[in-house]
Amino acid sequence: MPGAGNDPGKDRLPGNQATIWGTLGLAVVVIVGLSAVRLEHQPETTRDYPPRPLIADGPAVMKPAPEIDDEYLPCRDCHTSPDRQTGPIPRELEYEHEDTELAHGNLWCLHCHDPERPGRLRLADSSLVKFEDSWQLCTQCHAKKLPEWRAGVHGKQTGHWRGPKEYQTCVECHEPHAPPFGTIEPKPRPKRPDEIIQPARISGEEQHGDS
Amino acid sequence: MGTPRNRRVKQAGEAPEPSGSSRRDFIKTAATVGAGAIVAAPAVASGFDFDLESFFQKNFRELSEEELDALVKRLSRKYSKKYGKDVSVSAIGPMDGVLYGYGLDISRCTGCRRCVHACVEENNQSRDPEIQWIRVLEFERSEALRGIDLKDGNPYYEHKEVPDEGKFYIPIACQHCEDSPCSKVCPTGATWREPDGIVVIDYDWCIGCRYCMAACPYGARHFNWAEPNVPAEDINPDMHVIGNVPRKRGVVEKCTFCIQRTRKGRYPACHEICPVGARKFGNLLDPESEIRYVMKHKRTFVLKAELETKPKFFYFWGTEGRS
Repeated sequence: MPGAGNDPGKDRLPGNQATIWGTLGLAVVVIVGLSAVRLEHQPETTRDYPPRPLIADGPAVMKPAPEIDDEYLPCRDCHTSPDRQTGPIPRELEYEHEDTELAHGNLWCLHCHDPERPGRLRLADSSLVKFEDSWQLCTQCHAKKLPEWRAGVHGKQTGHWRGPKEYQTCVECHEPHAPPFGTIEPKPRPKRPDEIIQPARISGEEQHGDS
Repeated sequence: MGTPRNRRVKQAGEAPEPSGSSRRDFIKTAATVGAGAIVAAPAVASGFDFDLESFFQKNFRELSEEELDALVKRLSRKYSKKYGKDVSVSAIGPMDGVLYGYGLDISRCTGCRRCVHACVEENNQSRDPEIQWIRVLEFERSEALRGIDLKDGNPYYEHKEVPDEGKFYIPIACQHCEDSPCSKVCPTGATWREPDGIVVIDYDWCIGCRYCMAACPYGARHFNWAEPNVPAEDINPDMHVIGNVPRKRGVVEKCTFCIQRTRKGRYPACHEICPVGARKFGNLLDPESEIRYVMKHKRTFVLKAELETKPKFFYFWGTEGRS
C-alpha cells in the first residue's frame, strides 16, 4: 500500500487518498466476489423442460399449378391448315416459336404436347394428363428422381418440417423446355475485416488493439 | 459441467497485516465509498443501455416456469415499445423425441447467398456493424479431389452471376455439435446444448470473453464489437428468448436453426429461401424424415470429423453424374 510503508510519520493515509484506494479496493473485491460466485455456480447441463409432445404431422400438398385449358395454348389458331400441320420430325423452330428455347435432350414438341388437346400433356402411353400433373410426364424418364422428390429430398419444400408442407413440382424450378438451371446474380458479399474497422466510429471509445 | 470446480485459491495469512488504526480507517472509508459506487454503478452504466433486471437475470436454464413467463412478458413489452410494433417473445421448449439435423447438398448450392441474407432478416442480426451467421465459402473444383482446407475457402467472392465456372460452394454456420467445444469452454455457462440438439446462448449471461469463438472449429460464432443496429421496420417480431431477441454490445451470437420457427414445426429461413432446394431439415429420430432419407441414401459427411465434435449438420453430394 503506497504511503503506508517505512516512513513512520506517514503511517496514516490522507483522507482523500484513502477514499480513492478504498473505492478501488472495494470495487475489485465486489467484482472478484461476484465473478467468483458466478463462476463457482455452474448451471445444470440443460433446462428441465416440461414434456411437450411432438406436434402432429401435416399433409404434403403440391404447389397448385395455374389453370391451363385448351384455349391457353393457341396451337389450333395456326395448326389447322394442311400446310401448317404439326410434324413429328424435329426442325428449326421459327415464326411464333422463336422465343421458345428447346434444349431438352432430343425431345420435340409432340413428345409432351398433344396438338389436338393443347390443354393436356401426353404421356408415352398416349394417355393425357392435366398440366398440374406434369410430374407424371417428367418422371417417365427421370424415374430416379421420383422417390427422392416424394421423400422431400429432390426439389424444394416450404412450410413445416412437421406439419403442412408444400412441394414444388418439377416445372416450378425447371423450365421444361431447357431444364438445367442457369446462373443467377448473387447477393452482396460480407464485408472484409479491413472494411469493418472504421476509425471515426470508435475514436470516442476505447480502442481495442486486437479488434 | 455439473461438478463444482474450485477456482478460488485461498491465500489466508499471506498478506502482512497493516497497523490497526489505518486498516480500520481504510475499511470504513472503503465501505462507505463502495456502497455509493454500487448504487451509482447502474446509473453510470445506464448510458450503455444497461438493464438492471437483465443484469440480475438468472441463467435461462434455472428460471422457474413463473420466472420464465415473467421474462417473456417483460421482453415482449420492452421490445414492442422499443420498435413500435407487436413483438412476441417466446420461450417455447423442445418437442419430445426430436433431434434436429440439417443436410446440405453441395452439388446443388450455387453460392447465391440468398440464405445468408434471409438469415440476417429472420434473426435480427446487426446490419451495421454487419453480422452474418452463414458464410458461403467458394472453392476451386479442380482442388476438390486433392482435398480442400476450409481456410482456403473464399467468402468474399464477387461475380456477376453464380455459380462461377469451375467453382463450388460450401455454406457454413453453426454445426450444432453433440460434443460442442464452445459450450465446454464457456466460463459462465452462458451457452449449452438443448435437448433437441440446438446449441443456444443466454445473451444475459454471456460476458463476451470470446473463449467459445476461439474453441469453435467452424468459425460459426460472431461477436458484437459495437452496439448492434437493426432498423425498427426490419425487426422480425417473432422472437425467442435464446434465439433472435435483439442482442447487445459485447455478446456472442450464432445460428440457432431458427429456434423460433423450428420449435413450432416450421422450416428454418435459409431452408425456405434456397432457390435450388439444396437445404434439407428435419428430425433425426424420425425414420420418415427428409434428413433421414438423405442419411440413408446419400453419402453424407461432416466438417472436420477428426475433431469428433459430432456435428448435426451434414453435407452431401446429392446429384449423380454431375461433377
